[in-house]
Amino acid sequence: MSTTLTIPKLEMSMSEGTLAEWKVEDGAEVKEGDVIYILETNKTSRDIEAPAAGKLIHKAPAGETYDVGTEIGEIV
Amino acid sequence: MAESNLGIEPEVLKAIYGQMARIRAVDKAIQAGLSAGKFMFTYWPMTGQECIPATISQLTTERDYMITTYRGIHDQVAKGVDLYGMFAEALGREGGVNKGKGGSPHISDPSSGSMVTTAIVGAGAPIANGLAISAKERGEDRVTIVNFGDGATSIGAVHEAMNLAGAWQLPVIFMCQNNQWGEYTEIPTYTASPNFYGRAEALGFKGVKLDGNDPAAFYKGMKEVIDHVRAGKGPVFVEAVTYRIGPHAGVGENYNCTKEALAAAKERAPVEKTRALLLEAGICTEDELTGLEAAAKSEVEDAIERALASPVTPATETVVDVFADVDSVPKRGNYPVRAAEGELPGETKTMSMVEAVLDAQTLAMDANPEVFILGEDVGDPQGGVFGTNKGLQTRLGDRRVRPTPIAESAIIGAALGSSIAGMSPIAEIMFCDFMGVCLDQIANHAAKQRYMSGSATHAPMTIRMQLGGGMGGFGAQHSQSLEAWLTHVPGIKVLYPSNPIDAKGLLLSAINDPDPVVVFESMMLLYTQKAEVPLGDYRIPLGVAKVKREGSDVTLISYGWELLNCLAAAEELAKEGISAEVIDLRSLVPIDYHRIFESVKKTGRAVVVHAAVEFCGLGAEICSTINEELWGKLKAPAVRLGADYAPIAYSKDIETHQVPSLNSIVARVRAALKS
Repeated sequence: MSTTLTIPKLEMSMSEGTLAEWKVEDGAEVKEGDVIYILETNKTSRDIEAPAAGKLIHKAPAGETYDVGTEIGEIV
Repeated sequence: MAESNLGIEPEVLKAIYGQMARIRAVDKAIQAGLSAGKFMFTYWPMTGQECIPATISQLTTERDYMITTYRGIHDQVAKGVDLYGMFAEALGREGGVNKGKGGSPHISDPSSGSMVTTAIVGAGAPIANGLAISAKERGEDRVTIVNFGDGATSIGAVHEAMNLAGAWQLPVIFMCQNNQWGEYTEIPTYTASPNFYGRAEALGFKGVKLDGNDPAAFYKGMKEVIDHVRAGKGPVFVEAVTYRIGPHAGVGENYNCTKEALAAAKERAPVEKTRALLLEAGICTEDELTGLEAAAKSEVEDAIERALASPVTPATETVVDVFADVDSVPKRGNYPVRAAEGELPGETKTMSMVEAVLDAQTLAMDANPEVFILGEDVGDPQGGVFGTNKGLQTRLGDRRVRPTPIAESAIIGAALGSSIAGMSPIAEIMFCDFMGVCLDQIANHAAKQRYMSGSATHAPMTIRMQLGGGMGGFGAQHSQSLEAWLTHVPGIKVLYPSNPIDAKGLLLSAINDPDPVVVFESMMLLYTQKAEVPLGDYRIPLGVAKVKREGSDVTLISYGWELLNCLAAAEELAKEGISAEVIDLRSLVPIDYHRIFESVKKTGRAVVVHAAVEFCGLGAEICSTINEELWGKLKAPAVRLGADYAPIAYSKDIETHQVPSLNSIVARVRAALKS
């Protein structure tokens, strides 16, 4: 089963986040817990870890701000 | 190692750790999934509090009742809620234990004994009393454990519930998981009295303080507590000291905790400490523990995978589970035709409305030993402030007729909890103005329990409320007509009889209804109305209005004591050659639009009259529906007449002018006929 990656809602007041940088290349294999991208919010910058192992597919470019829930990638 | 050294049987300690590992696996998977955007729901972390439910799980079974809060995912896991059903619920999916209607903060899973989960701080405590009443009355040895945080000790509902549990010696455990934080506010900012367990002693029952992070000590302490409660020795308040290693809500970095305090808390965290103890004591090998943790992780992964595959609960489910029957839900375009009561028993007796209410309660209590009355002063010799229960306590005893402390949240919560367990309580709260102090229990809990639980539970309770309006001289806080407060909250049925015959038949229907029902009893009517009331059990169906006077020029639609003014107005209008039909709604939710429309189609005009404030009152709703549905068939727009927008005044002159009267109704009808 593939795992969809969306911009997470880290807390109730969060509505958008910036995908600052992909830390793993498109199509590369990741292990669960690997840092895959950096998320910036109005409060903090945070390493986002892979919730599953598999091949990471980028679905959105870095450097952009997205609404919470926007699909930005997938681990297959 | 022998028990004497550890203070706990090795196998029990291992089992406790097994539950801790499951809780940890759930917590980690949620935090990882939320942080990575794998899924989205609101989460209130319970990291650090794992030992409390893990230990309790070894001292209780699914027969014991539990209530917890939105933070209680650890409680659910240890209580035995199926993880797939729990995750599917948190994700709002069809496969959820509550059909995806309650979500993570509202799990109800009677099969595991997890009865109610509330997102209102402290509100579970009054409901726990009701579950405990059912166990005690049925002679069951179940205990009820209600979990809440230290923050909840500040709210009135917990105090009211503790006082009632002490007074009635209920088999309930107030489990205060003292994690040192009330949401984002720390002790001692919110209280000068952090000696929480001492509050039980102040209320006349046992309170203990235990280390909620030490499984051996906590197990020993809780065993004594549970044995005490199971043996019928009354309630216990447990202050289980722990520390919340995470923010109030979400997985972001919004925790006010200092780095030093957090580091100290992590040193004391129970999962790691218990693991180390199992190894050190030679109870488990590293391989065994790794295996146990891997099994927990895979149980959780499997549950999440299946939960994500379950379909999102569809919008077609919107009005399902509001009530037992979907046709009771008011819905545009759906105006069910309900059968009227038909012929009532022939043998009658002259009764006042007070006597009719007493007769209904007597019949219901004699027919079903699980019907009981609770409320302030409901016992003899007065038989209630209005005398509606006279003689019942003397004849049936003080377990069936229970005078309560002056604590409306405790009253409604006790009724609610016992109804969830299947009893049929009748709670009397006297003046409806007192709804303000128990509205959370009525509107957030009784009304929503069926829906939030996807009908896994329901609340067949009756609430009787009296209204002082119209009598004069009761003032602003004992004279209101607050039915619209209730009709605006989905999930509660609302009845308002205008005469003794309907009062008896509607109350019997209410007591036997599978949903929470509020019955309004007007003081104006209780004492002034007499009628030939049929003897024996008969029911007036909910949602069936009645034409009280036939007419052809205008329909007057009313209920309760204003119905009498409408009948008098119709008499007056007849002298002017105006033929008014008068409809008594009797039931406000469900409402009988079918009979309203049949009448208004005939007359072409409608005036809705109520004693409640006109602005945003039920009259606005009814007029709007008539005007929409019968547009083209009306001779004039439907209009309403309610009270002026002001508190009810003490001045007799103001009160009689501010609510609809014979004269103002006649004037409003004349105006409607001119337009």
